[in-house]
Amino acid sequence: MPGVDPSLLGPVWLSLRLSLTTVLILLLIGTPLAWWLANTRSRLKTPLEAVTALPLVLPPSVLGFYLLIFMSPQGAAGSLWQILVGHPLAFSFAGLVVASCIYSLPFVVQPLQSAFETLDRRAIEASWTLGASSAYTFVTVVVPQVRRGLLTAIVLGFAHTLGEFGVVLMVGGNIPGETQVVSVAIYEQVELINYDVAGTLSAGLLLFSFVVLVVVYSMNRRWFVENRA
Amino acid sequence: MNGIEAKFEHWVGRFRLCVDLELPAAGVTAVLGPSGSGKTTLLRLLAGLEKPARGRIRVAGNTWFDSTQHISRPVQQRGVGVVFQDYALFSHMTVAGNVGFKLPRKERAARVAEWLQRLHLEAYADRYPHQLSGGQRQRVALARALVREPDLLLLDEPFSAVDAHLRQRLRNQLLAVVAAYRRPVVIVTHDLEEARVLADRIGVIVDGRLHRLGRTADVFSDPRDLASARVMGWRNLLPVRRLRGKAVGGDWGELVLQGEVAVSTSHLGIRPEHVRLAKTVDEAGLDARVVRVIEFGAYRELQCELRDGTPVLVHRNWDEPLPAPGSAVRLELPGQHLRALSEEVAPLCPAGGVLGGSDSHGVTPGLRPVVNHP
Repeated sequence: MPGVDPSLLGPVWLSLRLSLTTVLILLLIGTPLAWWLANTRSRLKTPLEAVTALPLVLPPSVLGFYLLIFMSPQGAAGSLWQILVGHPLAFSFAGLVVASCIYSLPFVVQPLQSAFETLDRRAIEASWTLGASSAYTFVTVVVPQVRRGLLTAIVLGFAHTLGEFGVVLMVGGNIPGETQVVSVAIYEQVELINYDVAGTLSAGLLLFSFVVLVVVYSMNRRWFVENRA
Repeated sequence: MNGIEAKFEHWVGRFRLCVDLELPAAGVTAVLGPSGSGKTTLLRLLAGLEKPARGRIRVAGNTWFDSTQHISRPVQQRGVGVVFQDYALFSHMTVAGNVGFKLPRKERAARVAEWLQRLHLEAYADRYPHQLSGGQRQRVALARALVREPDLLLLDEPFSAVDAHLRQRLRNQLLAVVAAYRRPVVIVTHDLEEARVLADRIGVIVDGRLHRLGRTADVFSDPRDLASARVMGWRNLLPVRRLRGKAVGGDWGELVLQGEVAVSTSHLGIRPEHVRLAKTVDEAGLDARVVRVIEFGAYRELQCELRDGTPVLVHRNWDEPLPAPGSAVRLELPGQHLRALSEEVAPLCPAGGVLGGSDSHGVTPGLRPVVNHP
């Protein structure tokens, strides 16, 4: 982008890296969790659903506060991390990833869960009777059937992580190159009365979000038309 | 034994399913029963989609399940073809993709082509399931199930997703495919006509128990117990109060049967097509009153009431004279068509010893058995 301070690209790159990492980890954790929630008859289902949805209703500062305590060198995760890795978890990129995974969990789990709930179970069983293993069935039958939910989960998880502010500020602070993501950088530029820079970053984020949503909606529409029986 | 031998007991919550059946190496068996009787569960247990609590299943000489030997062959390795209710086609794959699913790459094209041709689907190879009619979808499901030449073909309510006017043609198509397939076929249905047209054997299942298993004509003409009679469409059921040798009586009158009647007899049954109208009221028979007449085209149904209010249906050919509703008639119930039905059943169910000695792996009633979902 011509006329943009190259130092602004740092926060942009960091935000993208954080969002991508978070979405990948959340897909790995969230898919089995969503599958379990969609299929279980366990009594643990309701409490677990509530815990999963907590980040939706908690103020980011409250969530950030608990995460900070949890990740501090005296906290459960923080002390363990310190021993294993040798530096604190709080105010680090790794700490941001952990916080983002918790903060964005419902945005990945809920679309996946509702997609799994509406899945045609008989198609899965048909696949088994045709000799396919559960893993093969998941890749060839389940994933194509839940692709709309999967896409929604990826996009929502990505966009939500990209836009998070309160939690990042609480557990990550504002360290350029380590924890200074776009949303925090915009806040800082406003504090410094650099409205031009804040405006460029904000417009970039706005445009990006809009384009992503347009792409998602048009893909979902196309798949809907394809799948209509 | 090349056919199927299945003796097992299964619990779904408090619902107990128990089955003891042997089927020959070829031929179609229809499992008939009211909804909730356990028909579909029976199919799922045979397929390996669920595991019985105890018992054994042997198909074509292979043991698929044996609780005493801890054998439970996974569904993937059973070589079973299943046509699911509503077909469960893969909506994101073409017809060729569905039929060729999981076939070895080398033989896929040839075998898909062969089966598409056999089921007249060549023209639809590149279509998606939502672009097909109900009958075409059924053929795709059949091709997909048969392309592996399974040792056992299971069909769950194969016509429930098809419009009534198409059923007859589809039945004939299915019959042609199945006739060429020299392995056992089990069809689960609640449609009597379907069972009659398709199957050479019928199993009647009520409340999780297999009541009858026999040749279609035998089970139709002699259901033996009341529940089976209801399933087989016997709608004239006269409650029995008195038994004296061959004479059977109730509040509706008295009838004489051709042979001795079992003490356990609770009802007399007769099919509507076997009830005749006496020419004069002096002839032997039961007094009745015509309540209603319904036109069914080829035949007409007289809904009559005996003197105690017991309903009796009489089928008359379209060209036979009809008494008017409200008039008194005398019904002849010929002895050779009357069947003594008992409320007690000797179900085909492996109670205790049938499963082979003591079985320490049985489950406590009421416990949910393990289901092999992922």
